[in-house]
Amino acid sequence: MDPQLAIWIVARATGVAAYIALCLSILSGIALRTSVLDFLAKNRALRSLHDFMTWVWIPLGFGHIAALLLDKTAQITPLDLVVPFQVSYAPVAIGLGTLSLDLVVLITVSSWLRRRMNDRLWRWIHRSSYLVFVTMFVHALMSGTDFSSPLISSVSWSAALGIGLLAASRIVFGRLPE
Amino acid sequence: MPSWSLKVSATFITLFVLAGSFDYARGHVKNPNAPLQPPVADKPAAASAAPTASAAPSVGPLFTLRPGQRPATITPGPRLTLAPGVVSATLPPISFTHTS
Repeated sequence: MDPQLAIWIVARATGVAAYIALCLSILSGIALRTSVLDFLAKNRALRSLHDFMTWVWIPLGFGHIAALLLDKTAQITPLDLVVPFQVSYAPVAIGLGTLSLDLVVLITVSSWLRRRMNDRLWRWIHRSSYLVFVTMFVHALMSGTDFSSPLISSVSWSAALGIGLLAASRIVFGRLPE
Repeated sequence: MPSWSLKVSATFITLFVLAGSFDYARGHVKNPNAPLQPPVADKPAAASAAPTASAAPSVGPLFTLRPGQRPATITPGPRLTLAPGVVSATLPPISFTHTS
């Protein structure tokens, strides 16, 4: 197989898998503090899963980014991974992916440094996970090559629906205290 | 539910999605309906330029001698002499080769 073709396939597959891993991480995080699911608040297994999923999506996200950097057709430069909306051919679609990457890195690093941080600041940073999901979902919708596939689309929309429902229930019925 | 079973399940789901999307992408390498169609890199200018004939075409030397190297001298080989009883045929000379 042509190396460039293999890189392109890896970029697409890791992108979908990283999206699902991040969805599972966000779902487990929201479920911990939603009043509708108050029986899960003290669930250590769910909390452990929320922490664990970081180590699942990081290699997948890294694989997605590395493959796109190596893909000559995608024309992504290292600067595009940090500064959003500057790619020449699809600035918004790709820029939203950059924005979600920047935010998710900020959230992850701040979680590792939580004990050294102001709790209120950490909580506000962590709440930007909702924004991460929205930007990531729109990025997948606008630039995902396989999003037109019924199977991949149904999986992606189902994960988005789950997060949307939990987020709405948290707004309507309130969140659990820390 | 134990913690490890949740972790294993979540990892399995993610790996299943990874394998499935890898298989799908391999089977559908090019999607004409893909939302992003990056521009193809420009062809090199030399390839697109029309070739022009030079006024006085010349062929350069087939090989060059290194400094201090003497040109090789060609000595003619021994001539083939037929035996007195052998007569050359009047058939036309073979001018083609056949390949199957």
